[in-house]
Amino acid sequence: MRDVAVIGVGMIPFGRRDQDTLMDMLAYASMKALDDAGLGDKGVDALYVGNMGAGILQHQSSIASALVDRLSLLPAAAEAIENGPASGGSAVKNGVLAVASGYYDVVLVAGGEKMREVTGWRATDFVATMTHPEVEYPYGITLPGMAGMFTRLYMEKYGLTREMLVEVAIKNQKMGALNPYAHVEMMITKEGIYESPHSVVNNPPAADPLHLYDACPVSDGAAALVLCPLEMAAKLTKNVPVLVAGFGQATDTHTLQERDDPTDLKAVTLAAQQAFERAKLKPEDIHVAELHDAFTVLEIAESEHVGFFKKGEGGKAVLAGKTRLGGKLPINVSGGLKARGHPVGATGVAQVVDIVWQLRHELPEDRQVKNAQNGLTVNFGGFGNNVVCFILRRVEQ
Amino acid sequence: MINITAYKCKKCGRIHYPRHERCLSCKHREFEEIKPEGNAKLLTFTQIFNLPWGFDERFLIIGVAQFENGVKAMGQIKAEDAADLHTGMPLTASWEPVRYVQGEPVYGLKFAPM
Repeated sequence: MRDVAVIGVGMIPFGRRDQDTLMDMLAYASMKALDDAGLGDKGVDALYVGNMGAGILQHQSSIASALVDRLSLLPAAAEAIENGPASGGSAVKNGVLAVASGYYDVVLVAGGEKMREVTGWRATDFVATMTHPEVEYPYGITLPGMAGMFTRLYMEKYGLTREMLVEVAIKNQKMGALNPYAHVEMMITKEGIYESPHSVVNNPPAADPLHLYDACPVSDGAAALVLCPLEMAAKLTKNVPVLVAGFGQATDTHTLQERDDPTDLKAVTLAAQQAFERAKLKPEDIHVAELHDAFTVLEIAESEHVGFFKKGEGGKAVLAGKTRLGGKLPINVSGGLKARGHPVGATGVAQVVDIVWQLRHELPEDRQVKNAQNGLTVNFGGFGNNVVCFILRRVEQ
Repeated sequence: MINITAYKCKKCGRIHYPRHERCLSCKHREFEEIKPEGNAKLLTFTQIFNLPWGFDERFLIIGVAQFENGVKAMGQIKAEDAADLHTGMPLTASWEPVRYVQGEPVYGLKFAPM
């Protein structure tokens, strides 16, 4: 297996992009990544596209075939990868495998989703189609609902508090306000969403015990990256190469009810263990992480399940400021899904793009983790039933 | 009558719902078909206010409960407020319409506090 490097990255601002089609967004992000790599008019061997719902939301299929044509990258191999909200992570993983195997040299990976095209009702229903079609979906359960049931158990078992969740929301929206790619660029205060009488109106229950500000927005957006063998990176790009040091992917039961302990996110633990083993690194070696905070509770739970903190300690770490920029382990400096947004097929790619920017030391001072060498991402599919984790490492030239 | 079929592994006894081709614990392929029995115990729940397409209610309360013979299942809970519920509380179960699709009822589990 060859070492694989990320040599180019691109993203478009997430949010409500009424002016763009899904294909526009994928194309814009892809061109940014190709140009960032400096490939010029060179082609790529293959294209992988992470997307969850074009067939449902846009009534469009074969989007990889459409994108490779739009980008004039013919006759590159092209295919779409669907793995729910981890579609982006799965697309990156398939790109990495293709290069690592030696079959392809230069691979473009794009992830995108256009979710604001439909009403909130429809978008909620679309996301809920990932639940079990016979024993969950008919009851009207939603992903926020799944997260609410999980949160209740996590609170009872580990002493997680609403205050801890609120601090995650405040931290991530503060960082989102600094991120030009973020959907939500609004800072919030503890008083406004938790402590004052107005907070009841500002931050109503969404999926008890979770509230409105515990959830990520429904977003449009796209991100892309270019992969090649590490040994070829210096010839293809002037960028500092970022090594895909390791990845892991694991699955868990489709339904929450069949897990022996529903608070145990086994797939997160296993995916991270695989990634750390492959990268020959430990949790304490990570300097920056992008975790899948579709709901505030998930940032805390994932930070524990990947091994950054012991079970029950992740929320305390948030309160202590350990996961802020400048803290011991900054988490979701991009603003995370909570503020950058969550166009489901784009998220796993965007997380890697954000870590690459961190490891290339290219971000403004108010968003850069100083001297970051190793970064980690967790892309959480379903409700933890299909999880992709990456560990990336800066390669000094 | 609650129209649910669960599957008890004939080798290790693990109860599955929904169906799997092989036991999640021991990979055995033979199951005894069983029905939920008795009342249920509430394992977890939520009250959701942003409902998916197809529901006209103001909110839904949904939970997972375990029947006396071990079958675990999701269902809607008949309550006015999640604050009236707590994990571990006993529930009765019934088989009723849980949503309507093109005017036709879709039946499923409904729980109610005892």
